Amino acid sequence: MDISSFGEFIKSYFLWRDPMIVGAVSGAICGFLGVYVVLRRIVFVGAMLSQVSSFGVALAFYIGGFSAFSSLGSMIDPFAISLIMTALAALFFALKKDFFRISQEGAIGFGYLLASGAVVIIGNLITHEAHDIADILFGSAVVVDPKEVYIVPAVAFFSILIHCIFFKDFIFVSFDPETAQLFKYPVRILNTVLLLTVGIVIAVTTRALGALPVFGLTVLPPLTALFLTESLNRVFILSVLIGVLSAGLGYFFSFILSLPTGASITTCAALFFLIGICWREIKLLVLT
Amino acid sequence: MNLPLLIKLENAAIGYDKREFFDSINLSIKQGEFWGIIGPNGGGKTTLLKTILGLIPPVSGKVHYREDEPLTFGYVPQREKFDHIFPISVSEFVAMGRYIRIPVGRGVKKEDWKIVMSCLERVEIPHLKDRPFRSLSGGEKQRSLLAHALAGEPDILILDEPTASMDIKGETAIMELLGRIKEKDKLTVLMVSHFLNTVARFADHVVVVDKDSGVFSAGIMEEVFSGETLSRIFGLDVTIEQVAGKMRIYAAVGGRDR
Repeated sequence: MDISSFGEFIKSYFLWRDPMIVGAVSGAICGFLGVYVVLRRIVFVGAMLSQVSSFGVALAFYIGGFSAFSSLGSMIDPFAISLIMTALAALFFALKKDFFRISQEGAIGFGYLLASGAVVIIGNLITHEAHDIADILFGSAVVVDPKEVYIVPAVAFFSILIHCIFFKDFIFVSFDPETAQLFKYPVRILNTVLLLTVGIVIAVTTRALGALPVFGLTVLPPLTALFLTESLNRVFILSVLIGVLSAGLGYFFSFILSLPTGASITTCAALFFLIGICWREIKLLVLT
Repeated sequence: MNLPLLIKLENAAIGYDKREFFDSINLSIKQGEFWGIIGPNGGGKTTLLKTILGLIPPVSGKVHYREDEPLTFGYVPQREKFDHIFPISVSEFVAMGRYIRIPVGRGVKKEDWKIVMSCLERVEIPHLKDRPFRSLSGGEKQRSLLAHALAGEPDILILDEPTASMDIKGETAIMELLGRIKEKDKLTVLMVSHFLNTVARFADHVVVVDKDSGVFSAGIMEEVFSGETLSRIFGLDVTIEQVAGKMRIYAAVGGRDR
């Protein structure tokens, strides 16, 4: 990267302003909610829900492609279908996690694989929008839909609002559900609301960024933050900051180096994690 | 002395999913009593505790609680049960014990933090308030758990294996601290333990349970704690002797397997 390419990047701000806003907000909210996902040891819930969200989008394209549904096609909004399906998957996971009488990881794996297989099959059936589906899966989209500039921050705002109100309660039911039940806390309702916010945010951000970067932003910033600090509040703050930086730098490098955006964001988040490990190791070495 | 009745199990059948472990239990727990709950692994101790706490309903019969004002329970779970991935400080952990008095959607206020600090002082670890809970030693964790239970200003303290995996010094320190707090606050204590001598030394009442042999016996220590009952439920020759006015329990060396 040289100065001229950086200058070009600044000059063409009208191209990257909207995707950067959406990316940064997605990084912040995924980083925040990802702390719960990592602490509750349900990391692959992020992968499963983003895959279900992709399946919802692919399904909407597929239904819209039928001539029999041509009048319906214009009414089927891929975003709405993906949101409903992801919210249903999150609800099912929250309420019926013992449904299969298998481990939690097993149920998540089942959901992930079913959605992934279905996305590939549907992608194979529809040729016209195959490129759009690939964008959704891997986040290669360089531009975002103008309405997402409003939808993503609005969803992030409401999620944060809910989490500000119930912060202590979400932490309590995540850390010690047995005592929460003894204290007559509505453990099941709180878990459902928590997972619903995760599901809705993942559906919305997957539509904007793609499944891969959303999974990356949900897992890697919280992991890095947990490496760097022993304070729970600081873990949330650091995770949000790392999420924003990963999305911003990922988009920047993708822009000037012509890299796929989703992969660039994910790699930036992974590099922050590696830097976090090195930082901690050096700190331990200095202390000893 | 006529102590106020806190909990009464009346002809209660306890168990899970309509499967009865014991069919007709009667048990009265009064204020200020120290109950030990003993029995072999899988004998029904946890089921009894959960029924007393109201977490699972009795299959039949009734559980009555004090009527004039609702009972508040302080729970001291086994310290190994917490996931160490959570970066929770000692004071944050103790504050969670206060949540029984803080409704959903309301944050922890200044007054609550004052109570948290006073609980840490009562268990003699105020200096550890900012330390991560996961970095504490076994004894320090047990004190934090006790402070966590006290933070809710309970009527009844429930302890699940409070001295498991502790050396004799740590065990004595925790049990003596518990005894002092119980006396000072006039608390009622229910303690599940595998350490029969600890129960014999500190409790005044005991429940002996074993669903496999159908034993359920509850009452004052001297009446219930017998070599015969203990031999039956543990499948070993167990003898009880009085040493310096205290019960001492011995299992026969190479105890005969029943």
